[in-house]
Amino acid sequence: MAGLTLRNVAKSYGATEVIESIDLDIDDGEFVVFVGPSGCGKSTLLRMIAGLEEISGGEISIGDEIVNDVAPAKRGVAMVFQTYALYPHMSVYKNMAFGLKQAKMPADQIDERVKAAAEILDITPLLERTPRALSGGQRQRVAIGRAIVREPDVFLFDEPLSNLDAALRVQTRIEIARLHERLGTTMIYVTHDQVEAMTLADKIVVLRSGNVEQVGSPIELYETPRNMFVAQFIGSPKMNFFGPDDLSEKGHALLGNPDFVLGLRPEHMAKVSEKDALLTAVPNLIENLGEYALVHCTTPKGTEFIVKTTDFTAFEKSVPANIGADPERAHLFDAKTELRIER
Amino acid sequence: MSDRTLPRLLQTPAVILLLIWMLVPLGMTLFFSFIRYVLNSLRRPEWTTPSIENWRGGGNYSFVWNNDGFWLAIYNSVFMVTSIIVLTVLLGLAIAVLVNKNFPGRGIVRVLLISPFFVMPAVNAVLWINMILDPVLGLQGLAVGGLSNIVDALRGLPVLGNFFSLWPEIEPISFRATQTSAIAVIIMVTWQWTPFAVLIFMTSLQSEDQQQKEAAILDGANAWSQFRNLTLPHLGRPIAIVVMIQAIFHLSLYAEVEIVSRGNGNKNLPYLIGELSTNNIGAASAAGIFAVILANIIAIFLLRMVGKTLMD
Ligand SMILES: Nc1ncnc2c1ncn2[C@@H]1O[C@H](COP(=O)(O)OP(=O)(O)OP(=O)(O)O)[C@@H](O)[C@H]1O
Ligand SMILES: [Mg+2]
Repeated sequence: MAGLTLRNVAKSYGATEVIESIDLDIDDGEFVVFVGPSGCGKSTLLRMIAGLEEISGGEISIGDEIVNDVAPAKRGVAMVFQTYALYPHMSVYKNMAFGLKQAKMPADQIDERVKAAAEILDITPLLERTPRALSGGQRQRVAIGRAIVREPDVFLFDEPLSNLDAALRVQTRIEIARLHERLGTTMIYVTHDQVEAMTLADKIVVLRSGNVEQVGSPIELYETPRNMFVAQFIGSPKMNFFGPDDLSEKGHALLGNPDFVLGLRPEHMAKVSEKDALLTAVPNLIENLGEYALVHCTTPKGTEFIVKTTDFTAFEKSVPANIGADPERAHLFDAKTELRIER
Repeated sequence: MSDRTLPRLLQTPAVILLLIWMLVPLGMTLFFSFIRYVLNSLRRPEWTTPSIENWRGGGNYSFVWNNDGFWLAIYNSVFMVTSIIVLTVLLGLAIAVLVNKNFPGRGIVRVLLISPFFVMPAVNAVLWINMILDPVLGLQGLAVGGLSNIVDALRGLPVLGNFFSLWPEIEPISFRATQTSAIAVIIMVTWQWTPFAVLIFMTSLQSEDQQQKEAAILDGANAWSQFRNLTLPHLGRPIAIVVMIQAIFHLSLYAEVEIVSRGNGNKNLPYLIGELSTNNIGAASAAGIFAVILANIIAIFLLRMVGKTLMD
């Protein structure tokens, strides 16, 4: 069991700088999720922690030890890969025992650990099969089992759910959360799915092109995003932004400064009376999902946005509507720097 | 007409052609192997035309079976084929793994590695036996000569000289001799066919899953353990293919055997058949049937061994 510290960690491939300089503290037992758009360096950062990728600058410590020059297997980390990377010619049992065997652990102890892990993951009946004969979800469990048996200080997951179908993804997500509760080990989890990030994380790290945009608990990120990028990245559908030209009198009053941008989350917007309206817009597509409806609208100036509502009769296609929101839940950003403005 | 009838009908001409292609020579060989049939005989001119009247029964077979060269030829066939296969697979694996790493000039090295495969077998044999293996004029002769000179010089040293005087005189080996000519064939064919193994293994190595390797690294596996537990099983199928194809090709080695020593000491089954067929077609045909049987025994043996890898 151990925490993790990253100090000025940088990575470049030749002249291309992939990660500029990242500082991060991860507490012992914490569940940390790295999110960010494709190509922002999430996997690279994770692989640097694992030791699969050389560190171009800075320091990574696990526990109290700087691990920059420690071999991957000696860092006390275990990784679950996106493609599972099971050894295809070995049985499930041998897959899980492989790491322990390499560490020259006595056979009876290996057996004990493998059986215990198989019990936790409910894969005991599969132990003699080869990975070929398993379903995607079962392979996923074996991959997790292979990590568990090594009893690592830190678990690393690189988009472990992206090869599963939607239902299995939800189920496995819950199982990973349970596993974390049960083992209490530090876990670092990479995903570009913000739902996984919100539900699993104690702490979310939002990355954009090799930089940390914000670090915080899911609720902090949702309620006080540090800039427009984080605001749009966390929450689904993403936050809507309005300039002064889109807004009514009341909207202007809320905005306060013409150089600001008003950010409203779709789920906080609703149809209101004319005097409460922050803006008027024409709905041009209504997606009814049963549980709620997504109303796609355009302001007279042409800004497109989405309203998420449970009032299925409020909006009508092509009929202009007055739209408002709880001013308490409105966000303000500087149009130039994109940074959050505290009200 | 059921779904399958039309495709079957369309395949029929090709299948029939192939059958004829195979059955006619086999049938003729079988027929000749049971009759007396020679190309030239002053004493019995009637034997020079193939006819059922010259029926000899199993005579040709027992003639071949009891021929002095027959068992040596079988032994040589098996010895050469197995040695070549073992050597090419081992060398091919080592080279393929080495050139799979990234290094400057890799492209050129790969092209050069493949090139022996494009040399004609006869040319290959001539080059090896005359320019490299020749005990006097070849590289071997020069190397051994140089080495003896060095050892001779070292013998003159004050103290160490005593130690070197204990060394035996190094002699060049004549690869045309009865005992060594099979070795020469093995060396030159291995040189020529290793590129084939390298080529097949290299393609397969490129399709190896890198994440599995990384998982193994995290599991603490060293390079040998990764090779043993991941790469080697991954190469199971290509190895099977290399073994099969080479077994088929090398059972019929001829040019090298002829050029190295005209069959002296390295006579294999095809060479024996060739020798017999200069006059005695009947006996040559019987030997040919033995060759077919030997090929089948080896094929069954290989399929047993290799088939399992190919199936799963
Ligand atoms: N070997 C390499 N050489 C040069 N650039 C690389 C190399 N590997 C990765 N990159 C670059 O580094 C950046 C970060 O890659 P990384 O795989 O970490 O992205 P990611 O955040 O995991 O994206 P995704 O969500 O698509 O997996 C990308 O822009 C990629 O092009
Ligand atoms: Mg990635």
